[in-house]
Amino acid sequence: MFTDLADAPLGAGNEAARGVALLREGRHAEALEALRAAAALGDASPVTALNAALALEGAGEAEAALTEMAALEARHPGWDEPPLRIAECLRRREDRAGAEAAYRRVLAIDPMRAEALIGLGVLRMQAGEAAEACLLLAQSCALWPDRADAWDALGLAHAQAGDAAAACAAFAEARARSAGRIDIAVRLAEAAAAAGRLEAECARLEAAAARDPLDVSAHVTIGLIRERLRDRDGAADALEVAVALAPDAPGPLGLLGGMLARAHRLRDAERVLRRAAEAEPDNPRIQNDLAAVLMRLQRHPEAQRILLALRERHGASPAELANLATATLSVGRQREAQDIAAEAVARAPDALLPRRAFYNCLVYQDATPAAALLRAARDCAACLPAPRDEAWPNPPDPRRRLRVGLLSGALKTHPVGWLTVAGFESLDPDAFALVCLGPQAADDPMARRFAAIAREWHDTDGLEDEALAALGRALALDVLVDLGGWGDTGRLAACALRFAPVQVKWVGMQAHTSGVPAMDWFLTDPRETPDGYERFYTERLLRLPDGYVCYSPPPHAPDVAPLPALARGHVTFGCFNNLAKVTPAVIAAWCRILHRVPDARFVLKAIPLSDAEIAADTAAEFARHGIGADRLELRGGSAHRYLLGQYADIDIHLDPFPYSGGLTTCEALWMGVPTVTMPGESFASRHSASHMTNAGLGDWVAPDLAGYEALAVAKAADIAALAALRAGLRARVKASPLCDARRFGRNLGAALRHAWRDWCARQTQAEPNRAGDAEAA
Amino acid sequence: MQTVHATAEPDALAGRIAALLDAGRIGAARPMLAALRALAPDDPAAATLAARLAIREGRPQDALPELDARIAAAPADAALRKSRAELRLLLNDRLGAAGDAAEAVILDRHDPAAKAMLGVMLLELGRAQEAAACLREAVAGAPGNPAYRQGLAAAQEAAGDADGAAATLAAAIAAAPGAAGLRTSAMLLAIRGRRFADAAGMAEAARRAGAADACVLGLLGHALSSLGRHEEASEAYAEALKLGPEDPYVRHLVSASGAVSAAGRAPLAYLRAVFDGCADTFEATLIGLGYRIPGLIRAALLRHAPPDGEPVGPVLDLGCGTGLAAVALSDLPYGPITGVDASPRMLAMAAAKGLYAELAEADVIDTLRADTAAWRIVLAADVLCYFGALEAVFAAVAARLLPGGLFVCSVEEAPDEAGWSLGRLGRYAHGRRYVTGTAEAAGLVVREIRAETLRHEADAPVPGLILVLQRPAMASLDVH
Repeated sequence: MFTDLADAPLGAGNEAARGVALLREGRHAEALEALRAAAALGDASPVTALNAALALEGAGEAEAALTEMAALEARHPGWDEPPLRIAECLRRREDRAGAEAAYRRVLAIDPMRAEALIGLGVLRMQAGEAAEACLLLAQSCALWPDRADAWDALGLAHAQAGDAAAACAAFAEARARSAGRIDIAVRLAEAAAAAGRLEAECARLEAAAARDPLDVSAHVTIGLIRERLRDRDGAADALEVAVALAPDAPGPLGLLGGMLARAHRLRDAERVLRRAAEAEPDNPRIQNDLAAVLMRLQRHPEAQRILLALRERHGASPAELANLATATLSVGRQREAQDIAAEAVARAPDALLPRRAFYNCLVYQDATPAAALLRAARDCAACLPAPRDEAWPNPPDPRRRLRVGLLSGALKTHPVGWLTVAGFESLDPDAFALVCLGPQAADDPMARRFAAIAREWHDTDGLEDEALAALGRALALDVLVDLGGWGDTGRLAACALRFAPVQVKWVGMQAHTSGVPAMDWFLTDPRETPDGYERFYTERLLRLPDGYVCYSPPPHAPDVAPLPALARGHVTFGCFNNLAKVTPAVIAAWCRILHRVPDARFVLKAIPLSDAEIAADTAAEFARHGIGADRLELRGGSAHRYLLGQYADIDIHLDPFPYSGGLTTCEALWMGVPTVTMPGESFASRHSASHMTNAGLGDWVAPDLAGYEALAVAKAADIAALAALRAGLRARVKASPLCDARRFGRNLGAALRHAWRDWCARQTQAEPNRAGDAEAA
Repeated sequence: MQTVHATAEPDALAGRIAALLDAGRIGAARPMLAALRALAPDDPAAATLAARLAIREGRPQDALPELDARIAAAPADAALRKSRAELRLLLNDRLGAAGDAAEAVILDRHDPAAKAMLGVMLLELGRAQEAAACLREAVAGAPGNPAYRQGLAAAQEAAGDADGAAATLAAAIAAAPGAAGLRTSAMLLAIRGRRFADAAGMAEAARRAGAADACVLGLLGHALSSLGRHEEASEAYAEALKLGPEDPYVRHLVSASGAVSAAGRAPLAYLRAVFDGCADTFEATLIGLGYRIPGLIRAALLRHAPPDGEPVGPVLDLGCGTGLAAVALSDLPYGPITGVDASPRMLAMAAAKGLYAELAEADVIDTLRADTAAWRIVLAADVLCYFGALEAVFAAVAARLLPGGLFVCSVEEAPDEAGWSLGRLGRYAHGRRYVTGTAEAAGLVVREIRAETLRHEADAPVPGLILVLQRPAMASLDVH
């Protein structure tokens, strides 16, 4: 439309031209006025009348517009324009039957009218008539091969008809003809994957990009395809090119940011997602991705603020609420976090993410009974698929060398590494062949230690649960050790499908039972799970005789400093655990201790305390119990060796409860600082009790809260004893089972062998024997 | 519907490409450079970026013609000069590279990067004093750049100013305490100067500062071994191995300590690390150690292949180092002599002696295997101590000797039952029976085996063997 006719009277012609211009600008009411003025001045052309009808529709008078268009169609039966406009108007009003009929009237006049062929094809597709849609759209592509929208619609129709290869070919044509359409690039990548044509399509696109290096959508599509080919570096490269070429477009920025996050390149991801958020501030996906990246960077206060703002503006999805619960927990607001997680569960009761957030919050709550944790873990597991019942080809020879898979996103410098690597290094290589299953992104000294002992490393990044479990089975693993649990990068959903005939849960979000029926065993020790605690676990217990972990002290640890109380004349208590563990009840207990040791100071060190708001809230909580800033020092995060160095300022470390310190307690011991602890029912509440007992310091373990406070007060009263203990502590810990890798390796090997023998025995018995829990030999 | 079009500014794009090249992300830089060329065909930045990309992609020669043309068109562009200097260095055109670097300094007197580059090039050319002067100016211009200080220390050491080098490295460490590379350089300098206690102290300081990587801990083990503190050394090696389990240099040091089973030979990286830095003081050190091997080799040759007026050769000097064997033979008609060594700086010193017909920077075994020449005499003076198992090297030498040709070599002697073993300082020693058995298995005849003191280490004599092995002359046809 919008054609102006030369034979109209002069004044009328001016008004008509003005009306067309206004219509183009979307100023419908003014356009209508001008076009009606043209008619009043004598412009009788049907084109002006039709334009007026279009302006009328645009101004919100669709009913009247349709009447005028119908009148024009009746007056000019050979003209295809009025029925086409009627069809489009009806489509916008979702009157599909009417629109279809109108398109058919257009095609009766002009069988080659592209808009009608495409419009009708799309309507037939929406009606589920994919075959007819394909026919119509193929026709329009043949007639108008340069129309990207026709190819795009044809691709959609083929995809609907289940012909992925044809869809891929059509989207490729559409992409080549649509400068910069990101949505078509996304569809092409999806169709190429469905058609199994990723490599071929990637090669074609690379050739296209070589011909026209400024073809942004080619680079975007290459990036999307490479990620599907699990070449994340290559994908980041291609998307980076797209972003460099179109620096202000939010589409490529958002795609690159998400990709970098999945590739564990968190700092790059943050930088890119912030740019994306600036370019498109109201996109909730970008905000959520950014928050998730910040949480992985241990910047929970920032993440929490972003997610709170997101909830404020858009309301939050259950997944976003789950993230908000985690962020809120991590800044030390356990109750609030639990409520948010509960809201997420209520909104999506069958989804895993909210259930997982709920369980992960519950472990930190005061006085949560272990039975409640067991229930919450089972609720998580209920969201997972059940394993297929299949026979395992593994020869049930109890003595043979076993292939043991280590599944974790944390086979690197990470608590999982510090607490397990020495044990794995000390396993008898003739009895156990280790296979690492995890992302290969990290290249730190710890990751290299795992790579050196395993010799086989399979990248799990980008593998869906089914594919991951299938990989595990293809590797002929005998025993799988899960080191990820219900964590952010954990893969219990894949474990539920079973990798191996014997599956063992060990360190790595090992807060309590996994609740997953396919996890057969749980590695622990007699202090972590004393007799009688079996009922709180779905797994059978493999109790190691000493501790359940073996600590590798870092080579960069500074020397132990002398007891600071000697120089200061007063005791300094400290806690270097993460803030999620520091509940109001814990702070209340610490304050009571400080009142009973009136000259003592307290140093609380945790990453979120770098945030002024969080630090102020925390200080206020101490102040509520009468402990002012003169006796309290809050410290934020620091690099690991500086963190270790800061134990020089601490005389006695106080454990939080119910979530006890794990690696932190080991590190404090290594730096000469013992921890007062109070174990509870849950696994997570008993770590320090296990480590302290292993180091020969069982007298630092209190039976209850009153005992905990009394113990802290009593230990603080004997400076000389503290100084003597500190002076010999590192040597003592080094010689103790906590650091004795050879001894631990033997015990770990015996436990894994026990689990394997049990499986072998059950293969040869008619009746499975699942009675009783076992002590590892 | 979101549509996206290329809106990038050429300058911003060039900056992004440079950053990606710095980060080693050539997969992103390559298509971006193509885009830059499409967007702004005459952008001068494209040529230097293309040169850097070509270097990263290992095809420096491809970038040279464009750079030549650009420089011809814009001879006063310092950035182009710097690019070509880098390129020429990679293409082994050291003089050309130094020329470009010098031009870059003249064109931009205030650019510390150009001065540093010129310094490095001069060091490559063996002009250590001038190199040090250039690098000193570079450091003054950019005191925050640890690489410049590291370069200056190397130049000072090469110029014979080990104390100056140590002071430079100490200042560099103070300025960048987290850079483990500086710590390693300082420790190597101390070890080469036989200041083992200093080296151990530096490692401890690095450990406290959290800047101890596998290399630092490996060198700590080395220093402690040299001080006779073997228990502590083996702990340091074990820590080093945990931090760098695949690092061949660390593995070698660790196996030298006996902590894990020994590999068959010392890795090239180890030889380069230890010897490249000490080329200049090497001779003095060896002579200070009562180093006798070149003289012993000379005597053995005179006994078994006395010259009778005609030159005896060709001679292949395996692991020629700074060329001491050629010096020992320089008054005798042995030659032409070809030298092979893995350390470019040692080779530069050998070349300076003017006694070699040819010198090659290569691995000994690779050279022998790739070689097609046949040699009258092959020498291995103080080289087999970097090999554990000798089977491969003996077989390779036997294959390249002329019938009747001689292989004269030294080994440090181990007890016979050992076969061969790796000593604590990273040198291998070999048992007499193992050496003769291996030689015979390779088809060589043992003409002579003499026990000698090779040198003194920590005031104790190092016992060794001088071997003269011969490939049998062709068997004559029996005529009946």
